[in-house]
Amino acid sequence: MPSRTAIAEGSTPSDFKIMYQAIVDIFPLSLAVVPWGILCGSLAITVGLTPLQAQLMSLLIFAGAAQLAALTMMGAVGSLSSMFSSTFVISSRHLLYSAVFREHVRKSSLGLRCSIAFFLTDEMFAVTCAYMAKHKKFSAVYALSSGITFYVFWNVATFTGIVAGQHIPNLEHLGLEFAIAATFIAIVIPTIKNRSTLISVISSGVSAIVLSIFMKEYALIAATFIGMFCGYLTKEKSVINE
Amino acid sequence: MNDFWLALLGMTCITFTCRYFFFSTSVPFELGPKVKRLLSYTAPSVLTAMWVPIVFLGHQESNGDFITSPFLIAGVTTVIFSLKIKNTLAIVIFGMGIFGALKLFF
Repeated sequence: MPSRTAIAEGSTPSDFKIMYQAIVDIFPLSLAVVPWGILCGSLAITVGLTPLQAQLMSLLIFAGAAQLAALTMMGAVGSLSSMFSSTFVISSRHLLYSAVFREHVRKSSLGLRCSIAFFLTDEMFAVTCAYMAKHKKFSAVYALSSGITFYVFWNVATFTGIVAGQHIPNLEHLGLEFAIAATFIAIVIPTIKNRSTLISVISSGVSAIVLSIFMKEYALIAATFIGMFCGYLTKEKSVINE
Repeated sequence: MNDFWLALLGMTCITFTCRYFFFSTSVPFELGPKVKRLLSYTAPSVLTAMWVPIVFLGHQESNGDFITSPFLIAGVTTVIFSLKIKNTLAIVIFGMGIFGALKLFF
C-alpha cells in the first residue's frame, strides 16, 4: 500500500509523535461513526447485497452519506444514473476539501496524493485543518494517520453491521444520524474564535434549514457556499474598518 | 441487484475523483489569497450545514413535535456543553448520551 510506505520512509521519532496525535484526535470522531457504519452494513444486507459486496462498498467508496443514499435507492430500485448523480451531489463538498489542501499536497508524489485523496473524509479534513491552524503547517503524516484510523473504524463498524445488524430490529429508526450531529457540533463550536467564523457558521446553519425545506438535494452545498461567502465578507469589512 | 458491480465501480470513481480533483497537477490554476481566505471558511460552513438540519429538522422524520424532539433538545444541549468544555471526546459522548436517554425515556 503506498500510504504505508509513505509513512515508513519518512519515519523519525517526531513522525511517530504526529501519528500518535492524529490517532488521539480522530478517535472521538471514529467512535461516533460506528453506529453509522453498523447501519450501513445491516442496510446493505437488508436490500439484498452479499456480505462481500456490502463490505466492498465501505472498503472502496468509503463515504457514509453517499453509501446510505445509494443503499436506500437500491432498496427502492433506483436507476444507476440517479444513484451516480446523488453520489456526486453528496460528494461534491470533497472538491472543496481538496482545494483547501491543494497547495500543500500538489508537489507530492502521485502515490501520496492519491492516498491522501482516498482517505479524505469530513472528519479527516476537520482534524487536519485544526492541526494546520495550531501548528501553522500541513502534515501529510498527520492527514494519513487520522484518515487511515477513521477508515479502519468505518470498515470494522460496517463488518459488525453485516454480521450482527440483522438481529437488531428497526436499526434505521433509532435516529443514528444524531451521532453525526454530535460529532460536527464537537468539531465546529470550539473552533469559533472570531466574528467572521461565527457569522459563517450562523449563515450556513440558517440557510441550511431554509434550503432543506425548499430544495433538499442541493441544500448542503448551497448553504456551505453561503456560509463561506458570509464569513469572507465579514472579514473584508473588519479589515476595512481597521 | 445485477447492476451492483457497475454501481460500485461508478461510485468509487465519483467519490475518489471529488477528493482528488484539485490535487491533480493537470488542474492548471493557482489559488489567490482571496480564494484561500474564502476556502478557510470551508470546514465550519460545510459541517454546520450538515449538523443544523439534523438538529432542527430531525423531528420531521419521526413525525414528532419540534419542541419535544430528542434531536432538538440533545442538539441544543450539546451546543451549550461544547461552549463550556473543549474536549471533543467528552462532547461526543455527552451528546450521544443525552440523545440516547431522551430516546429511551420518551
